[in-house]
Amino acid sequence: MLVDFDLIRRAQKGDSAAFNEIVLAYRKRILGTITRLIARTEDVEDVAQEVFLRLYFSLDQLRTAEVFEPWLYRLTVNAAYDYLRKQRRRQEYRMSDLSEQQVMLADALAGGKAEQDENYQKRIRESVQALLGGVSEADRILLMLKEVEGLSLKELEKVYKVNENALKVRLFRARQRVLKACGSVGKGRTPANAG
Amino acid sequence: MYSMNGSEDEKLDALLRAYRDACPAPEPSPNFMPHLWQRIESRQSFTFSFRRMANAFVTAALVLSVALGAYMSLHHTNPTYYSQSYIEALADANALDNPEIVEPVHLDLSADQAR
Repeated sequence: MLVDFDLIRRAQKGDSAAFNEIVLAYRKRILGTITRLIARTEDVEDVAQEVFLRLYFSLDQLRTAEVFEPWLYRLTVNAAYDYLRKQRRRQEYRMSDLSEQQVMLADALAGGKAEQDENYQKRIRESVQALLGGVSEADRILLMLKEVEGLSLKELEKVYKVNENALKVRLFRARQRVLKACGSVGKGRTPANAG
Repeated sequence: MYSMNGSEDEKLDALLRAYRDACPAPEPSPNFMPHLWQRIESRQSFTFSFRRMANAFVTAALVLSVALGAYMSLHHTNPTYYSQSYIEALADANALDNPEIVEPVHLDLSADQAR
């Protein structure tokens, strides 16, 4: 937790200064998550503000301060999902649409021998965005939260309000869809070891 | 179509891990907080004006109901029309003991026979 429970309780009672402190504490993290979820830097601040706007008007519905972070993640996921649905600008990417250079990059990454420069990072962003452009917004967000944001299954349980097994199945299917978008379905992974 | 060789999952994991490093959190602009509060205030004022409109509508509806109720009750104390019920009015108009209805029809056949 980046803030203490007392600050959240004060914000729930309508203390604007407390709410301001919460936003200041979490905005960098939320901006980072949204950047990776929506992949459009020019709209990141707008979506982040939407998250905090929803937080402001729904804070009174939060039952306990202990579940604040999953609650905030849930709001972030919903705002990103709404944005992606509105945009609907995803092309039907397939791995075959990626350049030979990008394909080589994926291979190099697996071997851990890619260089770390700005051009390389740009290519990573393009590759992942192209890859995730071929799956639904829901799959994209779930995979991002698990594999990129590093949320545990326990944390995802609180965000999605579904049990761990259901999440494992959803994650497994999301991975399969991404791998299918790559051109072939991955082998040797089952829902049991998806987490 | 390109097919990833070897462990597809490992490549995907590596790519997603690298994506996190390639997408650092941007620095918030100086206008982030002022814009956020502007949006909060505009949403609040919209909600407030909507609530005020709804209250005004409810008040107007109540006043109208009371006025209509008062008008109707006054109207009923001095009845000019409809002093009878529909059944009573119908019974008055076509009373069963009215000879025109109840009396059997007498046909005068003698005149026809004479012709």
